[in-house]
Order: sequence, then structure tokens, then C-alpha cells
Amino acid sequence: MLKLFKLFSNKRLFILLITLVLFIVVMGFSLGTRKSLSWPENFVRDTTGFVQNLFYKPAGFVAGLFEDIGNLKDLAEENERLKIIAAQYTREKAEYNLIKADNEHYKRLWDLTQAQRTKYNYEYHYAQVVSLTTEPSNNSLVIDLGSRDGVKPNMSVISEKGLVGIISQVSNFTSTVKLLTMMDSSDPNSQPPIAATVIGKIDQTFGMVERYDQQTGRLIMTRIDEKDPITEGDTVISSGLGGLYPRGLTIGTVESVEVGEFGLTKTAVIKPAAEYEDWKQLLIVFTPEEPQ
Amino acid sequence: MRAHRSVLVLLLFLLFILQGAVLPWIIPNSWEMRIVPNLVFIVLLFITVYHHRHTALMLGLSFGMLHDIIFYGRIIGAHSFAMGVSAYLIGLIFQTPRAPLPLMMTILLLGSWLEDSILFGIYSIFKLNREPYNWELMNHMLPTMLIHFALGLLLYIPVRRQLEKLKNETHKEEKA
Repeated sequence: MLKLFKLFSNKRLFILLITLVLFIVVMGFSLGTRKSLSWPENFVRDTTGFVQNLFYKPAGFVAGLFEDIGNLKDLAEENERLKIIAAQYTREKAEYNLIKADNEHYKRLWDLTQAQRTKYNYEYHYAQVVSLTTEPSNNSLVIDLGSRDGVKPNMSVISEKGLVGIISQVSNFTSTVKLLTMMDSSDPNSQPPIAATVIGKIDQTFGMVERYDQQTGRLIMTRIDEKDPITEGDTVISSGLGGLYPRGLTIGTVESVEVGEFGLTKTAVIKPAAEYEDWKQLLIVFTPEEPQ
Repeated sequence: MRAHRSVLVLLLFLLFILQGAVLPWIIPNSWEMRIVPNLVFIVLLFITVYHHRHTALMLGLSFGMLHDIIFYGRIIGAHSFAMGVSAYLIGLIFQTPRAPLPLMMTILLLGSWLEDSILFGIYSIFKLNREPYNWELMNHMLPTMLIHFALGLLLYIPVRRQLEKLKNETHKEEKA
């Protein structure tokens, strides 16, 4: 016993043990779900975010300039392609407007509450990326919109190509985006699975995009019914069921469909639509406020 | 001494900003998901070898915490712990103020591997990663070590000069 006391009278060892315990406490504490950040965290994030903002934009500009010079050749080709798409778009837009008007007319006839009517009026806000970390176990980036601009945790973040991630922490002027690459069903703090469906078979297909496979770089969609018509090459979008993710966000394309773990369901391997690198701007999807 | 110490902290802060905001643009896209550059940690290793391990420990804890808070995706404290402890351990073993460049580079490789391994360990304790250690080693740790090696060569002269100044002033102060 005396020896033990002697051991503890060693100041350095004592400090070491205290710090170790402190660290474990902090890690365990921060692992759970948290609604908001404490003020020191807010302060540190906002001040650093401001400085990062000063650096990221010029760096992106210079890098973008070189990229543009490199891409000059492909531009003509891309232009051609875009022109065709634009023509198709104008044709379809007229049709879309007609259908939308019809739809609204029917909705008015149908007895809906105000909340149900505005449920799908999403707003898209541009956010500047401020900095990012590519660490495999904690792949996140910081954007320059915060709670002052109305950002809340769990909002979806998309790039022009597709779903990128969701907001994990919000401070006053910046917020952190957790990328889809960190999706993991065994992590208690992870993004919840996305209820997904497939373009063209919206009322027949349903599954949950559950996790990201680091080794292959693919998303895994599970719980698909055995009789589901999902096949290779389908474009997977979020279905909006469950409420957390807005509907109609592109997730990726189906690469292969396999029999699931227990043989009763199917599992699809999805190639993500968004590439997880080099962002300048992202869009945050603001869903309409739900009446409390 | 105060002036130089604050220069050192400012330099570290600048490097921290650079590694989040500028390096992603420089690294080629195909390598981006495999390399996790950590400029702050490289300088910390210089400090722990050429200056003192306690300074490196404190700086590691604080800058790791900064990284944790800014990129708060899962847990707070992982980087703080990994950077502080690995810098301290490296200092405990290799603290030699006259270490030549080749030795320093070896220490750098060792240190970056140690830090990544500690991080991996923390994440596995909390069950936050599914990949086996082998895979992480081949796909993330080794490329990161190589990049750290290159960046370490770049930073060697300016950082060492800065530390030399810091040491001279510390000596003067002790004599006075």
C-alpha cells in the first residue's frame, strides 16, 4: 500500500493519469448526439473559419485558373453536349409547368393542410467551402454558413452532381459537413440511413442506403425487396420518406445488385454521384420549417 | 524569447490553415482520399527533437484540439491525444539537438506512422472504423508518410533556423 502511495506521489505520473481519464471522458462525451456546441467551441470555430476563408478562396481561384487552361480543349465538346441538353430542357420545361399547374390545382381541390402543401418547397442556399480534411475516419469539411444564416444540424448538403453529406455541427458563422463517406450503420453518431428509390420506378423500388465501403469507395443500399425491379445503371435518388432527407436528391448509379445477407432481401452497390474532392461551392437544402 | 515563441505559434497556426485550405488544391485528385497531410505535426516533430518534448506536448495537445473542434465530425480529442502523445514519445526517445538531416527524416517517418496508428487505435476503441489495420496502413498511412517526408524536407531549413533562434535566446536569458 505504501508503495502505491509512493507511486502516486510521483507528480508526473499523477498528471498523466488525470489527463488520460480526462481525454477518455471528453471523447466519450463528444461521441453522443449533441444539439448545440458550447461557447468556446463556437468561438474557436468562428475565428478560425474566418481566417480559413481568407486563404481558401484565393487558392481555389488560382487552382481553378490552371484547371481551366487545361480544360480548354474539352470545352467545345462539352458546349455541344450542353446545347442539346438545354434544348431538351426548354421542351420539357413547358411540359413541366403544365403538369405543375395541374398538380397544384388538384392539391387545392384535395383537402390538405398548409404544412402538407408547403412540404416540398425546398430552398437551396449557396455555401462557400472554407477548408476540408481528407482523413479516412473523419472526413469532413467546413462551410461558411452558420446558425446565423438558419443552418441546422442534419440538413442535407449537395453539389451540382448529387448528395454530398449532411450538416453535423453548427456554430454561428460556420458549420461542419459530414461526408457520405463516413456513413456507417455501426456508428451511433453517423448519418441515419437514406430512404432511397430509383428514377423511373419510384413507386416500385425502395431501399435504405446504409453505409459507405471505404475499400471500394461505394455506397451500399440494403433492404431491397426480392421482387424489386432495380437493375444495373439505375439512378438512385432519395425518396423523402422518413422526413430527414429531402426527396429527389441524386445519390448515385447502381453498379451491381446482389442477394442480401440473409437471402431474403437484395443489396445494391451504388457508385456515388458526387466526387469527394475539390469543392468550391456546395448547396444546402433548407426544408420548410415544421410547425412545432 | 517571448517574441520567438509567439512567432512559432503563429507559424503553426498558419500551417494549420494551409493544410486545410490550400493543400487540397495542390494534391492530385486521385490521391486526395489517400493522403492526410498534417503540416503542424511535422513541425511538432522538429520541435520535439531540436527543442524540447514538453513544448511539443503542449503544442500538440492544443493544435490537435483545434483540429478536433474545427472538423468535428465524430469525436473531440482524438487528434489532440494522438498528436500530443506521439510527439512526446518521439521526443522522449530521440531528443538530440544535433540530429543530422537523415536521422531527422527517419524520425519523421516513424513519428507520422506512430501518430496515424494511435489515431487508428482510438477510432477502433470507439468502433468508428471497419477497415483492418493492414488496409489502412497500405492505403493511408504509407502514402501519408511519403508526403510527410517530402514536406519535411521542404520545411527543414526554415523551421530549424527558427528553432535555432529560439534556443539562442533561451540561453541568453538563462545566463542573464
